[in-house]
Amino acid sequence: MIHLKKVTITIILLFFVLISHFSSVVRAQQVSIVVSPPLLELYIKPGKSVLIAYKIENNGDPVVLKSFVLPFEPKDSLGNIRIIPEFQGPVRFNLDNSIIQLNQPYVMKSNDSQQLLLRIRVPEGAPEGDYYYTLLTETQPPPVVEGVAMGRAKASIGSNILVTVTQNGNLDLNGKISTLEIIPRLKIPWGKRSINIIDATDKVPLVLVVHNKGKNFMKPEGKITLKSNFGEKATYNIIPQNILAQSERTLTASPSASYDCTLPAEQSLCKNTPSLVLSGFFVGRYQISADIGFGESSPRTFASTEFIALPLKFIVALIAVTIISALLMITIKRRQNQEIDIYK
Amino acid sequence: MMRIFFIAFILLFTLTFFSPVMALNMDSAQFKIQGGNVNIGAQDQDSSNYHITTTLGQTAANEFSSSGYIVKAGFQYIHSIIPFRFIVSNTNIALGTLLANTPATASTTVKVSFGLSGQYLVTAAEFNPLKTLSANTIPDTACNGGVDTCTTSSSKVWTSTSAYGFGYNMTGDDIPADFVDSTYYRPFADLSVAGSPQTIMSNTNVTLDSGSTPRNSTQSTMTFKANVSSVQPAGTYQTIISFIATPSY
Repeated sequence: MIHLKKVTITIILLFFVLISHFSSVVRAQQVSIVVSPPLLELYIKPGKSVLIAYKIENNGDPVVLKSFVLPFEPKDSLGNIRIIPEFQGPVRFNLDNSIIQLNQPYVMKSNDSQQLLLRIRVPEGAPEGDYYYTLLTETQPPPVVEGVAMGRAKASIGSNILVTVTQNGNLDLNGKISTLEIIPRLKIPWGKRSINIIDATDKVPLVLVVHNKGKNFMKPEGKITLKSNFGEKATYNIIPQNILAQSERTLTASPSASYDCTLPAEQSLCKNTPSLVLSGFFVGRYQISADIGFGESSPRTFASTEFIALPLKFIVALIAVTIISALLMITIKRRQNQEIDIYK
Repeated sequence: MMRIFFIAFILLFTLTFFSPVMALNMDSAQFKIQGGNVNIGAQDQDSSNYHITTTLGQTAANEFSSSGYIVKAGFQYIHSIIPFRFIVSNTNIALGTLLANTPATASTTVKVSFGLSGQYLVTAAEFNPLKTLSANTIPDTACNGGVDTCTTSSSKVWTSTSAYGFGYNMTGDDIPADFVDSTYYRPFADLSVAGSPQTIMSNTNVTLDSGSTPRNSTQSTMTFKANVSSVQPAGTYQTIISFIATPSY
């Protein structure tokens, strides 16, 4: 009987020890969520609605998610966005799913996927123009753990929705090249202009910024052409990237060279985000021109810039070698003269 | 004999009529095509009321236009079908029991995957400074102070054990350039006082790393740090850190 009592007490004690030990352990929880499609472009008449199927995947631990839509605006000219915390605009969103609703939590198991049927509706009388939104899906932070100082992470993933409300399908596309310039090694002022000078072996970063003055987002297409004085020509295609209404965007062209930011000589270049990096052996005067179109009904726009490539490193090395050689020759000649004087 | 004949017949039948399914690998040392399905039936279809273009052989590709709307999403718009993935390796960032003048650290890995195209941005902010239920707070760090005073948008050295607060360091891919090394910290933007979430990772071209190596994901480590004084009231200090990953438009 006493033995049984001892066993029972031991089991109870062990139970409490285990409980107290494991209850204070903070377990790592991984969040891994996927959204598809990450971008939607919609042209729609007032009074119409459309249903879009989104797919959310959870490849991490089981998680409680919540999906909602917020407007966004461009954050910079590089294509990044800033989410506006308050909903605005005439476009209405809701989910056609039977169970899940926007702004309501839902559970997803590990390696599970969920289709979200997003209904986008533009009421009658909605003003024409562009409205930009992000469908956000966020995780709920893990619960509070007593006795431990901690940050609890909440992860959100977004998918952008560009809505153009138009009554008759006509778009206001008005683009202009606001910047086309290289980042040279030397810039020499020359009257109202300046001369860009690079070394023959330099990588030449080129920045091309386009301003969309229209009321609708647009997708520019076109090319950048590099021409030398000797008639050589290279063409680089501009990658079609959306430029939101009344905003600027630094475009990207391809094929582009890249920097090796681990090399000290190229680290200063890594601070910039160029549209295109030209590489090769340049000698002489070069002209860079950009030719961009914004759609069938809008005029094309052009801009150009120039640079002069000189073998600066070679010239510097040549001057250095010449000076050193001259100094050596003078020294040798002096010694020879001294030796002749001694023999005399 | 009949059994052998029957087995041979089955084998012959299987090999003849069930050809193996071959995945099409569209890559070489120079290139790789993602989502490489063969569009065997791409064509436009029109009537007086609608215009549809289709590409067969894929799941979500379509461009649909009717008199009321046009939706652009699918294989014809390559940026719109490559899934956007966001991973936070650990959502419980436990700093443990804080001891006076003894900095405590904990880290989590942030990873973004965006196929072989696209650009993205990850921001971070705190709901409020580390605080207890009774509203005692550990203030956000100012780093070492003086010339080494950090802000939500500029990291500075935080090595002094007598500099108190809560902040974070970033190491890895696509992080802000001011995080020079693991001694550089910033405070989180505080959403409770309308702080603006700060960029912790961004890239305009996930395809290439800082050299020229092709890649389709990018990863960094965020290290949290807290340091308290001997007069810091005891309690369970917690906050929520909000990470938001958004693709470009």
